[in-house]
Amino acid sequence: MDAAIRAVALVKHFGVVAAVDGLTFDLAPGRIYGLLGPNGSGKTTLIRLLTGMTRPTSGQAEVLGVAMPNRPNLARIGYMTQADGIYPALTAGENVQFFAAAYGIEDMARVREALALVDLADREKTIAATLSGGQRRRLSLACALVHQPEVLFLDEPTVGVDPLLRVQFWAHFRKLADAGTTIVVSSHVMDEADRCDELLFMRAGKVIARGSGATLREQAGTKDLEAAFLHFAGVGAVAA
Amino acid sequence: MNLRRLRAIVRRVVAEVRRDRPSLALLFIAPIVVTGLLTFILREAETPDVTAVLVASADTPGPVVAAIEGALERGGIKTVQFDEATARVNVAHNPGWVAILLPPNLAGGTITLVTNGLNPSAEGAQIGAVQRVLVGAAVAAAGARAPTIAHETVYGTPSTDPMVPFAPAIVAFFLYFFVYLLTGISFLRERTGGTLERLMATPVTRSEVVTGYAIGFALFATIQVAVVLTWALGAIHVPALGPIPEFAIGLGIPVAGSPLIAFLVVVLLGLGAVSLGIFLSTFARTELQVIQFIPVVLVPQFLLSGVLFPVETLPAVVRPLVAVMPLGYAVDALRQVFIGGADLASGALQGDLFVLALVAVLFAWVASLTIRREVV
Repeated sequence: MDAAIRAVALVKHFGVVAAVDGLTFDLAPGRIYGLLGPNGSGKTTLIRLLTGMTRPTSGQAEVLGVAMPNRPNLARIGYMTQADGIYPALTAGENVQFFAAAYGIEDMARVREALALVDLADREKTIAATLSGGQRRRLSLACALVHQPEVLFLDEPTVGVDPLLRVQFWAHFRKLADAGTTIVVSSHVMDEADRCDELLFMRAGKVIARGSGATLREQAGTKDLEAAFLHFAGVGAVAA
Repeated sequence: MNLRRLRAIVRRVVAEVRRDRPSLALLFIAPIVVTGLLTFILREAETPDVTAVLVASADTPGPVVAAIEGALERGGIKTVQFDEATARVNVAHNPGWVAILLPPNLAGGTITLVTNGLNPSAEGAQIGAVQRVLVGAAVAAAGARAPTIAHETVYGTPSTDPMVPFAPAIVAFFLYFFVYLLTGISFLRERTGGTLERLMATPVTRSEVVTGYAIGFALFATIQVAVVLTWALGAIHVPALGPIPEFAIGLGIPVAGSPLIAFLVVVLLGLGAVSLGIFLSTFARTELQVIQFIPVVLVPQFLLSGVLFPVETLPAVVRPLVAVMPLGYAVDALRQVFIGGADLASGALQGDLFVLALVAVLFAWVASLTIRREVV
């Protein structure tokens, strides 16, 4: 099957700094990919390149066979930003409805479905500003899901999310992937990485290792992913 | 009071303001710009250009007419001679023209000055200039006591309601001010709250965002204008009821033209203000900074658009700036409608409307460029 996401010699410079430094990879449809790396390793820039929010310095980013940036193609992509990106003065329902309309969907059933998916069905009429932090995070996810995208980018979706909610999030992600959605999750929390089908370790704009959690641990000869990351990052001494 | 803790707080406040460079710059630039401009306008106020139209009655002695014309020309006032009907038509269409109707006999007669009445404060200066020359010349020419000088206007009657020239200007200014402020702040929230980034990740186009904002805020601007116009122009008389005496609600400012055309003018102005708000929100990081743009962007418009100071008496140096103040075109258009009773057939009004529409479109385009995305 064709790749859902493809990067070809993808480079993005900010001044002299290469935030993304020559990435080439294919990501298959219907799988969950984890972008793992410390802050500043280029995860968010990579997601912004793949969603077409920024133009590469060189190379190409493709989503569903279409070179990005491409505006019409955005209708098939979901993007949950690091910031909640919801309108605090609107109700939860109005927020989802607004983003649904931006994607060309005017069906309230779809709006309610998205709210139910993140367990906010009973909050439809609640003003977003009065929701708790975790509820706002879920609302943000609902806004990214409402148009049932084929590819979903989640930039640190579980930051500030309590463990119980985190489990629910991952259950949603798995359900979506099983239904064929390709999901790219960025995180710097290694313990959630094992829930991804495949991991891309990032450091200084480069992918330093790729594989399932088990494979990476095995290759590095370490018990946990954190140590595996340090191994691939060349900080070998700690790997033992 | 603990001095160390106090020092810590002072240090923090100073450090914060120092880092906030736009605020820091505005702290000094804004008062310099505003006071400078104001002083300049007041101090360097110029005698407006006046063209005098001399209208002699059939019985006015020729030498007297010639003497007055000579005196006016020497006084730097361009002078032409027409019959009364032509003079009135010219005055109606040309701001800065004053018709001088000479009586048959200057001694003890009344000289009537006719202006178009659209901008009483500017005309006051023009009449003053004509009058100074006229009185001396008339006395010298007729060798008699000074003639009485009367003033009439083509539109409205002179000095009936001092609020008349200001009402249109104030309606326009407040609309501009509030629409700018509302859009600027709400668009800043879009930018800082991450919703703009998210919106740009949908198939929505930038022009849809700007147009959507414009229509949304134009809706509120329309309501604001409707309320203000009703309040300013209306006079709802409430009849006496028992011990409560009769009273009127509204300012009852007389309006010569159609309130609907006035409406069209302010809606166009409001659309320009929406785009200005979106554009300037790019340069602000906090809501405070949006407010700090007011002295730099709005106050000069207030001073240079004829709201308080007639454009005709502004110093020549700043006169070219007047041409680029959107507010000025709206104030001019509204005065024409309110006082002159202009309708859409009026060329001057069409010109103002064209400029306002152009500004709205141009600013919308510039505003859409400030919404960063790689694809339009």
